[in-house]
Amino acid sequence: MSMGFWSASRRVFDLSLGEMLWSRRTIFMALVVGGPVVLAIIVRALDMFGMSALRVNGRTVGGIGVFGVMMWMLFLRFIVPVLAVFYGTALMADEVEDKTLTYLFTRPIPRGAVLVGKYLAYVACTMLVVLPAVMLVYFLVVPFREVPGTFMSLVTDLGLLGLGLAVYGAVFAFVGAYFKRPLVLGLVFTFGWEPTVMVLPGYLKQFTIAYYLQALVPHAMPTDGITSLLQGVFRETPPMAVSLAWLGAYAAVFLWLATRAVERREYVLEQ
Amino acid sequence: MSKKTRYFVLVSGAILTVGLGTGLVASYLGLPVSLLSSAAGPDELQYIPQDAAVVAYANVRDVMNSEFRQRFRQMEPPSKERDEFEQKTGLDIERDIDSVVAAFMPAAEGVTDSPERAAVVLARGRFEAARLEALALEHGGAVEDYKGKRLLTHLDKDPADGTMAVGFVEADLVALGGIEAVKRAIDAGADNRNVMSNNELMRLVAELDNSNAWAVGRFDALARQARLPSEVQSQLPTVSWFSASGHVNGGVSGILKAEARDEASAQNLRDVVRGFLAMAKLQAGSRPGMQQMVDSLQLSGDGKTVALSFSIPSEFFDALESMARQKQGQQ
Repeated sequence: MSMGFWSASRRVFDLSLGEMLWSRRTIFMALVVGGPVVLAIIVRALDMFGMSALRVNGRTVGGIGVFGVMMWMLFLRFIVPVLAVFYGTALMADEVEDKTLTYLFTRPIPRGAVLVGKYLAYVACTMLVVLPAVMLVYFLVVPFREVPGTFMSLVTDLGLLGLGLAVYGAVFAFVGAYFKRPLVLGLVFTFGWEPTVMVLPGYLKQFTIAYYLQALVPHAMPTDGITSLLQGVFRETPPMAVSLAWLGAYAAVFLWLATRAVERREYVLEQ
Repeated sequence: MSKKTRYFVLVSGAILTVGLGTGLVASYLGLPVSLLSSAAGPDELQYIPQDAAVVAYANVRDVMNSEFRQRFRQMEPPSKERDEFEQKTGLDIERDIDSVVAAFMPAAEGVTDSPERAAVVLARGRFEAARLEALALEHGGAVEDYKGKRLLTHLDKDPADGTMAVGFVEADLVALGGIEAVKRAIDAGADNRNVMSNNELMRLVAELDNSNAWAVGRFDALARQARLPSEVQSQLPTVSWFSASGHVNGGVSGILKAEARDEASAQNLRDVVRGFLAMAKLQAGSRPGMQQMVDSLQLSGDGKTVALSFSIPSEFFDALESMARQKQGQQ
């Protein structure tokens, strides 16, 4: 008797979450995410000794300004895409490489449910590591007196990180399910295509995720001195509703395409 | 899900829950600032309303104990009014006041400033509350409680000035000002919605170091209150924030900082100040005492910041003192 799509996805999710959390890839994720936490500890230590960690135009940037820079430059522009590339492209590729895909595909469950379950496990696994790390960074870098005035920015930032992981993850899940060398393609997209077209004039930047994700930056940025600096970099931005709609559409379309690819593709396991 | 996966999910979820919970409580209910971090500036800032445009502080004890103050104290004539004030209130300003924080909260643009809400002064020291209360009642004042704090109120002779109040916010801290301003100070302390969450202003406070008197604030608020001539005012909007800090001991040293809206305005301001400095040096050339002071003026700053520092050494005041003595001798 075959299971329904969503109950099958849930089963795969349960199985994959543990596998993902205790895989060697998690050590890489811990190192990537631990970097900003260590940096935040250094910033806090410098602050305790009366030194400023960041100065712009000779002006000391406050705790929330430093957090803003770490959030956007480290997490959103680097950590989120990198984690999505390494986890997203491996959702199916790992099963192919380990030659365990047959065990999943011979079960009486829809093939697409395997990908959806693994994708949900990836979202949960990365969020469980990234979001607490951001929380630690926030409370290390931002003085407690600034918390009441900036807390909603943190909530927005956490939402943006979740959205970023989900959308990039969907794109790279499709890349992993459809193409033969998904990791190379993913890295080219993240560190080649996106940064290049983002600085070029014209409409090409609309074919990136960073364009829409960064459009949400000013809505979450704290009103500190660094704001103007960052807004200058991301000057050309679509409205928030448009960005949210496009990001939602990207996630849905690419996840559907990935599911379709898994259902139709014939995987040949090397002997 | 295995046991260790479950533990991981629980720990991760707990960090998120504790973080979000703490942030929510701090945002909506307020938490004492001293709980997890030391705030820049004096503790009294927790009673300054969030919308304060200018905040000033003076460590009265430091200033009163300074050589600078002692030098001028010797030259001061005895004051009968001061003695009378001390007799009635039991308060010797030089001895009983430790520090003073003042804040100015202007009304929004287009709204008339109300003296009852515009300014508040917080003085930390030793006060005889019962004696002050009796004195207030004797002079037609009233006593009331506001959120558990004792308030002495008195309607000013000029009704336009509204009701003035003195609030005993802590055992050694009183708030003085219009009734609205004093009540807002008490609210700010109780709800933890105070100037400490005003990031721009607190950034300026955090930048001050080793000073026993300072003032920081929004320049437009100050200019509006000063009712400057329109020609002067038209030149001012280029300055957005200012800070002034000084250290009083044997001599007086300090720094005045202005933050312009953009780098071009800052450059213009630096040029103007440089011109004034050149003129002052020319004027001071023939007077040795003045020359020393003018030489200590240093213009600095980059980007949007303009800073002018000065240091008046105690020798300068020695010269002033001897000049004053000579004058007295001639008379």
